[in-house]
Amino acid sequence: MSEPTTPRDSTTEPMIRLVEVTKRYDGADVDAVAPLMMEIGRGEFVVLVGPSGCGKTTTLRMINRLVEPSGGEIWIDGRNVTHVDPDDLRRGIGYVIQQVGLIPHMSIEQNVGLVPQMLGWDKPTVTARVEELLELVGLDPAAYRSRYPRQLSGGQQQRVGVARALAADPPVMLMDEPFGAIDPITRDRLQDEFLALQQRIRKTIVFVTHDIDEALRLGDRIAIFADGSRLAQFATPLEILTTPADDFVRSFIGEGAAIRRLSLLRIGDIEPARFRPAGDAGVRAKPDETVAVVLERMLNGSANRVEVQGLGQLSVQDMLLATGPEAGEAPQ
Amino acid sequence: MSFFDYLGENSERITFLLIQHVQVVLVAVGIATVVAVTIAVGTERTPRLRAASLSVTGTILTIPSFALFGLMIPIFGLGVAPTILALTVYAIFPILRNTVTGLDGVDASVVDAARGMGMGPWRRLGRIRLPLAWPVILNGVRVATIMVVAIAAIGAAVQGPGLGQLIFRGLSRTGGANALNEALSGVVGVVAVALILDAIFILIARLTTPRGLHV
Repeated sequence: MSEPTTPRDSTTEPMIRLVEVTKRYDGADVDAVAPLMMEIGRGEFVVLVGPSGCGKTTTLRMINRLVEPSGGEIWIDGRNVTHVDPDDLRRGIGYVIQQVGLIPHMSIEQNVGLVPQMLGWDKPTVTARVEELLELVGLDPAAYRSRYPRQLSGGQQQRVGVARALAADPPVMLMDEPFGAIDPITRDRLQDEFLALQQRIRKTIVFVTHDIDEALRLGDRIAIFADGSRLAQFATPLEILTTPADDFVRSFIGEGAAIRRLSLLRIGDIEPARFRPAGDAGVRAKPDETVAVVLERMLNGSANRVEVQGLGQLSVQDMLLATGPEAGEAPQ
Repeated sequence: MSFFDYLGENSERITFLLIQHVQVVLVAVGIATVVAVTIAVGTERTPRLRAASLSVTGTILTIPSFALFGLMIPIFGLGVAPTILALTVYAIFPILRNTVTGLDGVDASVVDAARGMGMGPWRRLGRIRLPLAWPVILNGVRVATIMVVAIAAIGAAVQGPGLGQLIFRGLSRTGGANALNEALSGVVGVVAVALILDAIFILIARLTTPRGLHV
C-alpha cells in the first residue's frame, strides 16, 4: 500500500477517495461495480446518475460500507476506512434514503436525536441540536418535535430525514434518491431549499438519482454511469451538456436537445422564478439576447453568474436548466 | 342441588383451583415466550434452522395432549412439573410463529436507515425491531395463552393442578351426588379463565403498543 495512513494536508486531500473499489456479489459472474476510481472534494456536491442496475446505489452504499467492497480502498478525510468499525464510521456520515426510514415508534425529536444520543451527547445538548435542525429544514420545532412520523406528509418526513442525517454535523452526506418518492411540486421546492441549505452548510454530498434533470440541477459535478457500472463521464453539468463523453452520455442527456435549445431561448424568456436578487456578477446581459450567446460570454470571461438588465441574476446552472425540454411549460 | 347452590357451597375450593389454573398457565406461557423469542432471534441468520424449529414446534401441537401428559409420567412423574413442561411445549409454536412474522414484517427501509446511522445489530433489535414487532408477538402470546388454558385442564390426568381436577373427578363418578355439577363447574371455570385472560391481553396490547404506531 503506497498511501500514507495518517491524514494528509486537510486542504488538498479530497474528502472522499475511492481507489479501485469493486463489488461482486457471491455467485455472480459480473461485477456489480467494476473497479472505480473517484475523488470528491471538500464541500463538493456530486451526483451519481445512470440507468437502474448501473451500480450507482451500490457505489454509494460502499462509502459507508452498508455494502462491503470486494476490493479496493475507501478513504474519507484522509483516513483509510475500508476496515474500521462500520458502526463508528456510519455515525460520522449522514445517510438519507428514498423511503426516509424514520422510526415509527419514536417521536420526531427522538428520531433526529438518535445519532447524537448514540455518540453520548448529554440531553440538553441533544435537545438544543434537534431544535436547531428542525428550524434549519423549515419545520417549527414546537409543532413537530413531539409528533410521530406517521403524522407527517411525505415531504415533511424527508425534511426530518435530512435533519436526522445532519444531526451530528457529519462532514459527508450520502443521499439515495431522497426526493424520488415525493410529488413533483414538493420535490422542486425541496430541491431548491436543499440547494440553499447546502450553500450554508457546505457538506460533501454524494447523491444518487436516475433523473438527469435533477442531477443537472443539483450537482457541482455529475458522474454518469452506463450499463455494466462503467463510469461514462464525471464532469460538471456544463461540461456534460457541452461535451458529452460518448453516445451513451449523449442519449442519456436527451440527444443534445438541451444544447440546441440554448441558442433558441432568449434570456428574457426564462421564467422569472429562476432569477435571484441582483448582486455582483462578472457579466452583464440584455433580456433579448439568447442563452447561448450569454453563456459563451460567461465562459470566455470565466464567470459563473450573469446580471440581466432589470431581471436579476442567473447562474450557469439556472440557465442550463431553464432551457431543458420541459422548461417554459407551465412553470410552478 | 342446583348448579349455583353447588358453586356457592364449594366456592372456596373452586376459587383455589381457578387461581392455580391461572398460575400454571401464566408460568408456562412466560417460559414459552422467553424460549420462542430466543429461538426466533437466534435463528435469524440460519433460515434452515429457523424453518426446522418452526416445523418441530408445530408438529408437537398435533400430539394429543392426553397422550403427551401420559408420555411424561415415566420421565417427570406426576404433578406440577410435567404439567408446566407440557404446556410450555404447546405454547412455543404460536409465539415463535408470530415472533418470526413480526420481525420479518418490520419495514426494511427503517432497518436500513438505522444501520446507515450506525446502529449495531443488538441496538437495532432492542430499540427498533422488537418494539415494532411487539404487537404481533403479543398476539401470539395471547393465542398461546387461550390454547393452553384449555389444555391445562387435561393436566389433571397426571395429577396436575387446576380446574381439570373438578372435571376429572366429576366425570369419574358419573351418576354420583353432584357429579355433573362438579364437572360443569370445572368447565365453566376454564371458560371464565380463558375469557378473563383474553380481556387482560387486549388491555396489555393497548397499554404497551408504542404510541407512534397507532396514530
